[in-house]
Amino acid sequence: MSGAKSTGLARAAELYSVRGQRARELKQEGKKIFGYFCCYPPIEIMTALDIVPVRILGNMDEPITIADGYLPPVMCVFCRSAFDIGMKKSYDYFDGFVGAHACDGAERTALIWTNYIKTPCNFHLDIPHTAHNSAVDFFKQQIAYFQQAVEKFIGQKISPEALKDAVARHNRQRALVRDLYDLRKPDPPLISGSEMLQVLIALMCIPVEEGNVLLEEVIQEVRERPNVQAKKSRLLIWGSLIDNTAFTDLIESSGLNIVVEDTAIGTRPFWHDIEETQDPLDGIAEHYLKEVLCPRTFRDSGPSYQEDSEMRFGYLKEFAKYWKVDGVFANIIRNCDVHGYEVPVIKDYFAGLGLPVLVIEQDYSTAALETLRTRFQAFAETIG
Amino acid sequence: MEKKEFKTKKSAKTLQTAREAGYFGKKMLTSALEAQKEGRPIGWSMVTWWEGDLIAKAMGMELVYPENYGAFCAAVRRAEPYLEIADAEGYPNTLCGYARNCIGYTKTLADNNLEVPADAPGGGLAKPVLLISSGAACDARYKWFQALGRYLNGVPVWTLEMPQTGLKEFYLPGNKEKNLAFILEELKEFVGFLEKLLGNKMDYDRLEEMLAQTLKTLRLAYEVDVLRKTVPSPMVSQDFWSVMIPHLYLPEDPEAYEFYQKVYDEVKTKVDNHIGAIPNERYRMMFSELPPWHSIGFFDDIAEKFGIAMVIESWNYHAIKPMPAEELEGVTDPLEVIARLSYHKFTEDNDTARRYDASPGFFNARYLQWAEDYRADGFLAHPLMSCRPATYTLLHTKNSLEEKLKVPGVVIDGDIIDLRVFNPDEAFSKMEAFVETMDHYRELRRKAEMAW
Ligand code: SF4
Ligand code: SF4
Repeated sequence: MSGAKSTGLARAAELYSVRGQRARELKQEGKKIFGYFCCYPPIEIMTALDIVPVRILGNMDEPITIADGYLPPVMCVFCRSAFDIGMKKSYDYFDGFVGAHACDGAERTALIWTNYIKTPCNFHLDIPHTAHNSAVDFFKQQIAYFQQAVEKFIGQKISPEALKDAVARHNRQRALVRDLYDLRKPDPPLISGSEMLQVLIALMCIPVEEGNVLLEEVIQEVRERPNVQAKKSRLLIWGSLIDNTAFTDLIESSGLNIVVEDTAIGTRPFWHDIEETQDPLDGIAEHYLKEVLCPRTFRDSGPSYQEDSEMRFGYLKEFAKYWKVDGVFANIIRNCDVHGYEVPVIKDYFAGLGLPVLVIEQDYSTAALETLRTRFQAFAETIG
Repeated sequence: MEKKEFKTKKSAKTLQTAREAGYFGKKMLTSALEAQKEGRPIGWSMVTWWEGDLIAKAMGMELVYPENYGAFCAAVRRAEPYLEIADAEGYPNTLCGYARNCIGYTKTLADNNLEVPADAPGGGLAKPVLLISSGAACDARYKWFQALGRYLNGVPVWTLEMPQTGLKEFYLPGNKEKNLAFILEELKEFVGFLEKLLGNKMDYDRLEEMLAQTLKTLRLAYEVDVLRKTVPSPMVSQDFWSVMIPHLYLPEDPEAYEFYQKVYDEVKTKVDNHIGAIPNERYRMMFSELPPWHSIGFFDDIAEKFGIAMVIESWNYHAIKPMPAEELEGVTDPLEVIARLSYHKFTEDNDTARRYDASPGFFNARYLQWAEDYRADGFLAHPLMSCRPATYTLLHTKNSLEEKLKVPGVVIDGDIIDLRVFNPDEAFSKMEAFVETMDHYRELRRKAEMAW
């Protein structure tokens, strides 16, 4: 790739479209590359050992064929797709594989993965279901095991200073991502949902320092360029992740501007900084279990339905206000239970804020996308 | 999906005791309704593999199990209206069938001022003061109860923790003890929570009694499993799916223990007299995971026609293997015994998984062990439209059995609630073809000088 030459959004677009390319180059240079599932494995630990963490995603363009013999069709299609392209050697450059008990689908896929796709180092990270204090302690221990496993593989210990430094670099990335999100506040936003997605996915395929440079370039470029976006209704996306611009393009060409996405590739990994604690693992455990706001974590129930909803989704009210949202798209990848069970409560909650919600269950396939266009167009008309 | 009339097909069951087991399902529902009349607190609980139930019951709660109620509503053909309500409420129809049944039911309960509707199947589920969720094995089992907040405004949900580390990680130095310590810590929290909610103190003597009885019942249920290794098989899945209710839901009930003594005696008599559950046993098969409740009679048909005995089944419904003595040595705190007991359910097959290099240990490795122990000729995988967690590992298990033990598998689609997914004619033809596959693999095992 002519990666070194392009910068900013163009560079993000390149990294997005040939996702393993940069990691493969780095591997040639002697770096170790680890793949990880979901937004829960602490990437700071990998960074501290100079390992490049690469987020495992699926491929909406690729028909699922091989996975049919391993993962049944009732499983989340995203997981099946990730496994399918894994079997097709898309991730054959990994030196390590980190599975996680994020949701059933991701957990079982990761556990089955290691039977068929071999990598020199494997770790499966358990994640408790609650955010109780003892759960945070337990999670910290599991992260410590993860750290030991990676240290053993690399043959080097992580000093507390190195870990603190990695935390600081990733926090810097989080702050930069939030700065970029701020540029979606104007109407029309200064950066489109598709461009944003390219940047965020690019960050998940390269070392943190490169990502931070990229973000600085992108922020500067977006601030300085003339705004070419048209004024449209402003959309918040909540739910299962979106990892293909074909989807965001479809939405944005249907009369909507995506301004914020509460998903596993959107705000969730970036919205909160890891606190600098004396033992860095305390801050890391707290952050991932308590502050990554995915409905896979059970938060203690409130004294009434309304208060419970407020406790769980209050941040969405802030998002809606801050980005002056007109409507919400609840994106459910078919068979995604952790989001599926939330659909009526999410609708209730946004209805309380006067915001309409479009719920779509989709099959994680670009081939099936076009059929959704009329639904987005109709929604845009309703809220426009 | 094409809507067609579906006939349920009950099984004749081969054991007399299996025919009597329905008593326990009814007992659970009526006890809760009586408790409601008497003003005693009622909890709705997921199957927690004894982790939460004993504690809640020792605190004076009467428990009912909406998962079981889902199976009941499906069996009496009353689930459909509830599923339609859940759909109308906006829940994706891909969610767990039991959950959708329960959501629909709970909406009718809420619409009726939280009084059980007069026409509710089996007398209905009385209004709970608490929902006991479990994170073990399935996300639905806490997301579903959380979702009920829309209808049971303010009824608290408690989510029990069950660590699920990977296989290799389970063996990391100290990890098992740390997992147990975490469960124990959480159980203490749970007790504190219950004491506050119910306004009374935990009766530890009662808990110990219940626990002792539970361990006895589980051991006896396990002994029955052991007897089933005999050829010809003295008991088949059609029987097990009835007799499992007491050990899964009511193991602390002395009546459950007495019942298992009868089951044991009946099965033992058959073993001693070389009487097979089916008269013409030619093929021994394993079944995974949740059965088509409405069509258990299908297994009678394949027994009669092909001589197929379903000799062992449904890992998740089975009693645990007794814990090694050292596991409980010096353990006096009943909460710790419970932690160890429930954790054992999810980790007892890790050694097998390691031996076969086939993870995960739960839902999967047991079938490798069972194939050897029960001399299995085949594996029937039953993927369910609406219970994903019980379906995720099926193809992987099928692959492992074929590859590692030359035991072939057949896949027959079905569902726990939606009767239309299971096509008995198609299933029957599949089994007809599969018989030849089993013959072929038998030959392969013989050539490889395997034990069966
Ligand atoms: S889309 Fe849903 S089911 Fe799939 S990995 Fe994400 S959270 Fe899990
Ligand atoms: S999905 Fe399966 S395991 Fe989970 S609650 Fe439903 S029936 Fe039970």
